[in-house]
Amino acid sequence: MSCFDVLSAREIVRGVAAGDFSAEEVARASLDAIAARDGEIHALLQVSEELALSRARELDEARARGEALPPLAGVPLSVKDNMNLIGSRTTCGSRMLEDYESPYTATCVKRMIDAGCLPMGKANMDEFAFGSSTETSYFGKTANPWDTERVPGGSSGGSAASVASGEVTLSLGSDTGGSIRQPAAFCGVVGLKPTYGAVSRYGIVAFGSSLDQVGPFGRRVEDVAMAMNALVGPGADPMDSTSQECPVDFLEHLEDGVEGLKVGLVPALSEAEGISNEVRAAVRGAAKALEDQGAEILEVELPHIDDSIAAYYVIGPCEAFSNLARFDGVRYGYQEPGCATLAEQSEKSRAKGFGAEAKRRQMLGAYLLSSGVYDRYYYKAQQARTLITRSYAKAFERADVLLFPSAPRTAFKFGEISSPTEMYLSDMFTISSNIAGNGSISVPVGLGPESGMPLAVQLQGPAFKDRRLLTFARAIERAFEAEGSVAPACAGKGGEL
Amino acid sequence: MALSEHDVRAIAEYARIGLEGDELREMTAYMNDAVAMLQPIVDFDPKDVDPTFHPIGDLSDVMRDDVEKPGLDLESALENAHATDGRLFRVPSILGGGGLS
Repeated sequence: MSCFDVLSAREIVRGVAAGDFSAEEVARASLDAIAARDGEIHALLQVSEELALSRARELDEARARGEALPPLAGVPLSVKDNMNLIGSRTTCGSRMLEDYESPYTATCVKRMIDAGCLPMGKANMDEFAFGSSTETSYFGKTANPWDTERVPGGSSGGSAASVASGEVTLSLGSDTGGSIRQPAAFCGVVGLKPTYGAVSRYGIVAFGSSLDQVGPFGRRVEDVAMAMNALVGPGADPMDSTSQECPVDFLEHLEDGVEGLKVGLVPALSEAEGISNEVRAAVRGAAKALEDQGAEILEVELPHIDDSIAAYYVIGPCEAFSNLARFDGVRYGYQEPGCATLAEQSEKSRAKGFGAEAKRRQMLGAYLLSSGVYDRYYYKAQQARTLITRSYAKAFERADVLLFPSAPRTAFKFGEISSPTEMYLSDMFTISSNIAGNGSISVPVGLGPESGMPLAVQLQGPAFKDRRLLTFARAIERAFEAEGSVAPACAGKGGEL
Repeated sequence: MALSEHDVRAIAEYARIGLEGDELREMTAYMNDAVAMLQPIVDFDPKDVDPTFHPIGDLSDVMRDDVEKPGLDLESALENAHATDGRLFRVPSILGGGGLS
């Protein structure tokens, strides 16, 4: 008997196929680990025990009939609570959607379940994905499994923490400005934001429609590659007009190595002010590790990248204001009782249903889209987006990938950053690839000598070259022997298989 | 020019977000901080640069065939509403006068 949290996705799939253990036994091990660990971590808002056991029994029955099992058969999965899943509520971490029953299942979630994943639960998040610490959830904060006095990052903090704590093997998150990569970095797991359009967003509660992208978390690069195959394998989703065909096997070149490939360092970013010494050293260490494996390191420039944060905090709030206008208490969501008029009901339902940060983002968007203001901000932000995208294109003429920090520092303590605008700088290295739409990944590189917390670096690639990102990430993982780490305080607690 | 509490209240009305107690003062401070953070965009002088409204760029939209298909069934569409009447959502009076319409 050992704990299931030491197993990779591939090992679970092999074990189920070989009959070493059943999918139901894996589901029960994951439920046991959640029961033992999540009281302190609070990564999950709902545990979907019946859904997980039911899917596990289907897989076990299929095996008993001699049928071939799907590629992720028996792998425990959590999904961010902005993803619809029939049989669960989809709260977005908000009072507004506290009682919202999912009327259908998001394509990305359905594809993971079809591929054999066991849906263990819905992961905590910053309210409507507005945040970088998971402190804005109406249902309470999530703790970082490596140090429960620290944040897990955000907004997909519950997803990252559920994987880092070993409660599940894979998770899905969404990334509008860094919400997969930054929590992955803070929790010491791998987090991929695929290229915009690679993964269907049908069934995800929208935040910024030209920025949002769904992606996987795992403790190993290979686990993330297997998840990507499940997410894009069935082809473009006719329910999402931005969804693209990605006929790629993400496992195919995982072990190819990086010899002869070019890694671009952007000194203006990796040596920028405000980065901790250990993060600065981590980027240099990752560059050295890639160079030692035969990659060529070169310096590149990304003009206009400094405008990314300002452009993002124009585009994001404007799109959020538009998307969240639907929450008026009529068709779904919190409704203030006893209102005399529709306008009063809408205003009071939104006042009480939304938390402070959700109100702030919508107010900023409302202002920026108002008459006389639009031209000064919104239009120019979209022009800046053109120049940022061109900068990337030019950089990728010289380099196969770019190497950045994932975040300026390791996980901070609860309450340490109280100013909203200061919090926005947590995403200073991640936002630009949401603006341009290209793929990026955060990969762990061990623990910081000063903080003792997980350190990570970020790789960014050209659009629809996400497989290449995984090859580079695997090279870094190999060098730092970082794969598979469960946070020590959680490892082995419950979950015997 | 800084936004006043009067300006912020007008924006809140437009956004249909009631601000209560200290919220108006706090929101005004936030809005001014946030707008100051966005100054690089105001200072940005792009000249002859087309905007990019969407990162999908030159890629194609996915269009499904224009054939009738079942959508959400009525029960699912109404299950999260607080007040319904047969096939309809019920709302308070739109023009005033009280009561559910």
